[in-house]
Amino acid sequence: MKKILAGLLLSLVSSQLFADSISVNLKSNKNRPVFQAVVYLEPMTSVDFPRPQAVSVMDQIDSQFVPHILAVQRGSLVSFPNSDSIKHHVYSFSPTNTFELQLYKGLKAAPLPFEKQGEVELGCNVHDWMLGYILVVDTPYFAKTDQKGTVEIDVPPGEYRLKVWHPRIQDDEVTLAQTVNIAGEYSLDLKLKRDLLEDLTDFESNQDEFSDYD
Amino acid sequence: MRCKALAALAGCGLFIAQLQAIELSGVVQANLTLADDANSFINDGTDILRFDESAFNAQQAVLRAQQDLGSSFTLDVVANYYQDGEQNIGFSQAQLLYKPLSQDTVKFKARAGFFYPAMSLENVDLGWLSPFTYTQSAINSWIGEELRTAGLELSLYSPGRARRSPWSWAFHAAAFKGNDPLGTVISWRGFAMHDRQSLNNDRLNFAPYPTVIDQDIIWHPAWVEPFHEIDGRLGFYIGAHLDYFKQSSFRYYYYDNMADPLALNDQRLYGWRTKFHSFAAQHKITADTRIVSQLMTGSTAMGDRFVYADFDAFYLMLSHKIDKHRVSFRFDRFRVQEDDIIPIDINSSDGFGFTLAWRYSWRENWQFGVEQHYNKNRAQNRTTLGLNPETEQSQTLVVLQYRWK
Repeated sequence: MKKILAGLLLSLVSSQLFADSISVNLKSNKNRPVFQAVVYLEPMTSVDFPRPQAVSVMDQIDSQFVPHILAVQRGSLVSFPNSDSIKHHVYSFSPTNTFELQLYKGLKAAPLPFEKQGEVELGCNVHDWMLGYILVVDTPYFAKTDQKGTVEIDVPPGEYRLKVWHPRIQDDEVTLAQTVNIAGEYSLDLKLKRDLLEDLTDFESNQDEFSDYD
Repeated sequence: MRCKALAALAGCGLFIAQLQAIELSGVVQANLTLADDANSFINDGTDILRFDESAFNAQQAVLRAQQDLGSSFTLDVVANYYQDGEQNIGFSQAQLLYKPLSQDTVKFKARAGFFYPAMSLENVDLGWLSPFTYTQSAINSWIGEELRTAGLELSLYSPGRARRSPWSWAFHAAAFKGNDPLGTVISWRGFAMHDRQSLNNDRLNFAPYPTVIDQDIIWHPAWVEPFHEIDGRLGFYIGAHLDYFKQSSFRYYYYDNMADPLALNDQRLYGWRTKFHSFAAQHKITADTRIVSQLMTGSTAMGDRFVYADFDAFYLMLSHKIDKHRVSFRFDRFRVQEDDIIPIDINSSDGFGFTLAWRYSWRENWQFGVEQHYNKNRAQNRTTLGLNPETEQSQTLVVLQYRWK
């Protein structure tokens, strides 16, 4: 009985804690929505967040990284399954996490820990066109924008530094960041000042079932 | 004793760990051939298709093994079985690839061994087979028959996506030994159309043309072993690849085996100085429809201009995929024009062909296909055997394929 009461109390407290949310809409300088941008909120006061328990997944499907951009909290484990029937050789030279994984068909590699915050660019040494990103953030409050460039994040009330990241964004990260004081519903429209880098999603849309790479 | 057992166990574990890295893949194709009454080049005849009687055949049996050696090296071997020809079991490719991890936008890779230059955009299936038609283009039938690089290829390449560009490029340069008799079969027999790749130690027979085998005229056996080194010189090729996203591809190669046409070995095989340009292109009109084309132009010379011939070949293919079905249609044109000092050895030949194939991948590993082929060709030296220089050939192949990766 005590446990049930404690559980009810905890759920009440946590629903109170996450009663607020922020909605962000991100548009390019050409007024077009920016898809798959990572929006994250870092508390202005130092908080020691518990380590995330769930294992995040960066899959390889049809010789592409899926998702193209993965955001994880610092300290997360990320697994790299290979859903293709061919070998992949995933690597990163990024200082955030430098590694290589030979991913043979049918073999499961142990998940890798991502202990430093920052950007990780992924490539495959077999399939030169494969490119993926992992953004490691030091907060549990993050999400990716949808097709309309919109993201909604539940967050406890307080003061935060709001940051935005996407590999095509050329705007300076510092000037793009904003301090937000969240108390209740909060909505924010962001517009980039500089052009986005060239869209290269055609590398993914024009897949070939035949390849003399394999 | 215990230590020895532990060491053996550790060795065993290492061996198993190595074994896990071996990747095996393969293709087996069996066909029912409905052929014209002909006499195939493979049976010492002059007709240009592989099968010359209606029968069941083992068309292809390919086993490929890839073994990583650390992070940067891969050993890649392709073994084949053929029911026809002189060598029935052997290797069509065996190479060691070096491709180190690199964060540079311009990267380096290399390979050494016995391999095909990557000239073709047709032969992109496992074991250098074509996923489009069974009977390959005249150009790549010849490459598969007579050309192989026993040497070292060095490459610089730049994947576009890593540079944030839609354009990817690569430059290749290779030096090789062997392949000195290259050009023999297209000079005497002419171009052919088939999928029989020569194996590492293979011998290609052709018809016993009197002027070729006569000791008082050319005095050459009615066969060639195409991968021999005859003169001790190195040959070379250079190549350039350019790709726009994965939508359009262009490949150019210049190949010169640098053979000494006066060099002769104790089998009476000559060096044939063969050089050519190859241009290949592919464009995907939609995700399911593509055009593939290749043009080759070059020359070959043997002896003191005993044989000198210019050769040109071209194909244009349209291939369309609908769900699990792929339909491909190819037009081939080929020509060998002779200009040498032995007028009775008449070697000019030319022809064209149409190939229409339907391939249905009804299960993950299984594929069923039907191909109809027609060609019309002329080879002047057929008259020296008492044959009509002109011939027409039709062939239907019904093919069952099992493929695993």
